[in-house]
Amino acid sequence: MSRRGYILEDSWYLDHVVGAPVTTGQDMLLRAHLELSSDAKARAEAMERVGGAMLEVGLQEVAANDFSLSADHIFALDEARSGPAAQMPDEPGPVTGDMPDCFPQVLQDFIAQTGRPIRWEFLGPGLKKAMLWTGDCDDRLWLLRARPGVSIPAHGHAGTELTLVLQGSFLDGEQRFCRGDVEEASPEVEHDILIGEGEECICLALTEGKLRFKETVPRLFQLFTGL
Amino acid sequence: MYAAALKPDHDRYGVVSDPEKGRTGMSVGSQATPPDAVIMAKLVGRVAAERDRAAYRILFDHFAPRIRAFLLRRSLSPAQADDLTQDAMLAIWRRAESYDPAKAAVATWVYSIARNLHIDHYRKAARASRVDLKDPSLLPVEQPTADELYDRSQSVDGIVAALSGLPDEQRLVLDLAYMEGCSHSEIAERLGMPLGTVKSRIRLAMDKLRISLGETP
Repeated sequence: MSRRGYILEDSWYLDHVVGAPVTTGQDMLLRAHLELSSDAKARAEAMERVGGAMLEVGLQEVAANDFSLSADHIFALDEARSGPAAQMPDEPGPVTGDMPDCFPQVLQDFIAQTGRPIRWEFLGPGLKKAMLWTGDCDDRLWLLRARPGVSIPAHGHAGTELTLVLQGSFLDGEQRFCRGDVEEASPEVEHDILIGEGEECICLALTEGKLRFKETVPRLFQLFTGL
Repeated sequence: MYAAALKPDHDRYGVVSDPEKGRTGMSVGSQATPPDAVIMAKLVGRVAAERDRAAYRILFDHFAPRIRAFLLRRSLSPAQADDLTQDAMLAIWRRAESYDPAKAAVATWVYSIARNLHIDHYRKAARASRVDLKDPSLLPVEQPTADELYDRSQSVDGIVAALSGLPDEQRLVLDLAYMEGCSHSEIAERLGMPLGTVKSRIRLAMDKLRISLGETP
């Protein structure tokens, strides 16, 4: 039996399934996670079935009033608009810079659309980061690249942090997070991260608010790294 | 029957059925039992394979009012809701072959089409310069009470029955999400509740529904 991956609270999948207006960062992280995790995908699909049931029972009397559309309208419209099939959106252009193979398609498309290559910056010994998107409320979508065996010191967050593993693994205490898994760290939780042995670890992270480090040195270090 | 059809592994067009049966749910606003989901799947299959207009008419009569009701809940004006309902029904006619009966019930497929059209709509609106919020046509329509929703749920089985079996507080949260398209943080704000409470209500509700879908929570 395959290992059961770490997935998120239902509320995150629900936002996605109902099409709630979420930030670009949240939308991207969820779509990347759903592409990589079959457990998450199964959960979102079950939630979508509930949407079908809601649609069935959601009929209101008010909707019946002055409803003039008919099937014949649709046939007429189809004939009027027939010809070449609806235009497909433009293919994203080629993007320069390195795009690791582990990137899910939605992330590759997103990066290609920005038109900017990924810029890896120094974050610490054995650690690199690349900022992808910044929201209105200081929330950020970014990439982390970490050498096997590196540890990230105890830190908390001003807001929630979601970390999706794209390649390699990391340990938070006893829990090992692998490709497709997401860790949800709430503001009150401080955690130590140890990057797993073997492959280099690459993660996509969504962070609300600044990170809070317990020790002075990482806090100084934060001044330089902008996290 | 409805619940059985919600399972992803149901028989592809395996049931021979009378298309006339599909007409039971066509009258707008009726409390009649919705047509069997397997029949619905078969009708979509006929549209895909033969451009069967009679099959499409049954689908239209059943889903067009439901799509419109859904769009009105999403704070669209009646005119906008009509336009998007038309787009959704045109997509069902033209792209019927994209429906996979092994994956989901027709209602679920239709829900995702309507939802995606609404997402496109609000993304375009966000890009457009400005929206006049005082325009009366942009005000949300009156919503049904929890009791009304409960009554409607009684006529169908499976997941719909499971929905009606949820405590009011959980059903309200799901209704705001699925029908109005509120995110979980918006629901917390709307109901004046802590985010954690909304999250746990969603979790409890989904756990119960998953049991009814024959899945392990």
